[in-house]
Amino acid sequence: MTWLQRLFTMTVKELKQLSRDPILLVVIAYFFTADIYIAASGIHMDLRQASLAVLDHDHSESSRELIHRFQPPWFELKGELSDTHQARRMLDAGEVLAVIDIPEHFQRDLERGRQVSVQMQVDASNSVLGTLVTTYATQIASRFSQEKAQELHGRLKLETLPAVLDRHRVWYNPNQNDTWFMSISELLTVITMLSLMLPAAAAVREKERGTIEQLVVSPLTPAQILLPKVLSMGLVVLAGTAVSLFLMIVPAFGVPIKGSIPLFFAVTALYVFATAGLGLFIATLSRTLGQVVMLVILVMMPILLLSGAWTPPEAMPEFLRRAMVLSPLSYFIEMAYGILLKGAGVKLLWDSILGLALLGSLLFGFGVWRFRRQFG
Amino acid sequence: MNLHRVAAIAYKEWREVVRDRLFTIMAFGIPVITLLVLGYGVSLDVERIPFAVLDQDRSELSRDYLHRFIDSRYFDFKGEVSDERALEALLSDSRIRFAIVIPPRFGQRLREGRPVAVQSLVDGVFTYRAQVSKGYVAAINGDFNRRLLLDHLARKRGLSRQRGETMVEPVQLEVRYLYNQAIRSRWSMSSGLIMLVLMFSPPFLTALGVVREKENGSIYNIYASTVSRGEFILGKLLPYVAISAINVMVLWWLVILVFGAPFKGILLFYLPASLVFVVCTTGIGLLVSLLVRTQAAAALLTIVITFIPAMLFSGLLVPIESMNPEARFEAHLFPAIYYLQAVWGVFLKGLGWKGLWQPVAALVAYAAVIWFMGLMLFHKRPGR
Repeated sequence: MTWLQRLFTMTVKELKQLSRDPILLVVIAYFFTADIYIAASGIHMDLRQASLAVLDHDHSESSRELIHRFQPPWFELKGELSDTHQARRMLDAGEVLAVIDIPEHFQRDLERGRQVSVQMQVDASNSVLGTLVTTYATQIASRFSQEKAQELHGRLKLETLPAVLDRHRVWYNPNQNDTWFMSISELLTVITMLSLMLPAAAAVREKERGTIEQLVVSPLTPAQILLPKVLSMGLVVLAGTAVSLFLMIVPAFGVPIKGSIPLFFAVTALYVFATAGLGLFIATLSRTLGQVVMLVILVMMPILLLSGAWTPPEAMPEFLRRAMVLSPLSYFIEMAYGILLKGAGVKLLWDSILGLALLGSLLFGFGVWRFRRQFG
Repeated sequence: MNLHRVAAIAYKEWREVVRDRLFTIMAFGIPVITLLVLGYGVSLDVERIPFAVLDQDRSELSRDYLHRFIDSRYFDFKGEVSDERALEALLSDSRIRFAIVIPPRFGQRLREGRPVAVQSLVDGVFTYRAQVSKGYVAAINGDFNRRLLLDHLARKRGLSRQRGETMVEPVQLEVRYLYNQAIRSRWSMSSGLIMLVLMFSPPFLTALGVVREKENGSIYNIYASTVSRGEFILGKLLPYVAISAINVMVLWWLVILVFGAPFKGILLFYLPASLVFVVCTTGIGLLVSLLVRTQAAAALLTIVITFIPAMLFSGLLVPIESMNPEARFEAHLFPAIYYLQAVWGVFLKGLGWKGLWQPVAALVAYAAVIWFMGLMLFHKRPGR
């Protein structure tokens, strides 16, 4: 048998072994379809129906006008409160997120040309919600304020005054469709999880069951033992990616694929290779699957949560941002979004591709080297 | 139920855990490391957005305007470019996320008292960042405009600053943040991470522990013994509950000590509530282990039903309020959402049993159902 034939036989063996674990197959299928669908369609990062209560000490036309600016889909009025104690109780219980407090003589002061301040108490125990509520409420209040100003001083017309007008343009996702970002982020998460876990599990299972001894005494080289695990699981992951991209993400959410599809799959393959290399390295460190799973979780969580798939990476502390050079996902994120949404090509992405290839070879080489030392 | 036999099984399981040194280290190490790394790293604050500018005016006023962005901690200035094509290349290479284009005669028009349109380009890939950055731009513009207007009014009509201010902005919104005055995402995040850690680590320990017996075949010893189903499950899971109970204390201490989060409530609420939650999630691990036959499948299934709900469907990263009804329903199927209410309530709001008995009651009910299902699904005479 030639070198390639052996590789092929071993790859087929791995695929067969995988096909005999039905629950694992169901879980993999779930990841690439339903999981991505739920995450993308159900999750939004903008403010929707934030519950709000009002303490209106004025009961005037103006105060009602301001209150009624807090409308769905952003806010939902939960009614009027009678006193501050009740407000505090509802905030404590989490029944409302914010309480607006309109002072007495609100309208009278406005008409007399005095500046009035309206108070808002925001539940900031969840900082994301607190920020969002404040951002939206401030915008609503300042629009109200501007209109009042024009109403009260009719001669102040904006066109004749100096002002910077913001011509805001959002690129790559002009309608700010959350599902585009969420579906791709979830796909990247799934790819990462599976390509880390599956090859590592396949490798350590041989160790745990002792079948590795049979492989070591066969004419197979370490690379021929380890590479098929990456190849077979890589094939599964790539097939799953294709399914979820063409049957789920594009038709269900209307994500436009701006760049080259072959290039996307090429970099995905490269990413799977790099991540699987990391998984194999972990497998050489452990003796049982329990240990593998623990170690995989340990490296997976920072990779998933700190590379920028779910949170803006710029706000992280400097040393963590530096450390992310070691995370294969941070390269892949730029490439995946670049190709799918921005239409970027090799000319722009070559540095990320090179970085990922280097990191992947390093991790894979390290894995083979450790394996050789253990069984050579 | 023979407590003696339960103790024997628990002791045997404990010995097995302790003998696997890497596993033991991980059982205590993963929660701590997860909390530290994610507590420092995961932040939804949008800061230091890398941006570039194209200044076609180069007047004093345009520089003044740009410096409001350059000096802001929300933006990270990456340099000036000479034409729009360069901005486009930087944006699509993800080197910058935001760009400002200042048109020619910017300063001149403003001095003449006329409005000027300034273009801001935002990379919309990450929608949350794009939205928040839009808010920042609006705030900076509003501030700049107010100053322009005040100067203008003072020059043209001789209005005093204070008089002008009232004219320009008659209504002000004063925001007071409760429970987390400086709106530190680190406080919310670190205490919230207690939930994430306790959601996924007990099920992993449990599922791997039980499936290991199945995969190795040592479970046949149990099948053949006089131990009853309930005794086996209780004894088997006790050590994992104990490990997690220790972690509950360690995590509490770290969140206060390392992240400086306030603990406004009482331990007499936090500890029992956390224990109920740990019993819940340990039960989830038991269910997983009864469904699968291999450890790899156990690990992946555990991720599906613990890690992902804890991250996305608990309210930790994504507000529950912003979900659509189906996702909100899914969120309520997992215990994470109830425990997160309890943790944030006891840490940041200082609530106790009176304010938070509902989520805890939900957790107790949840635990009872899960353990009952586990007991029903476990058979000493397996079908295959």
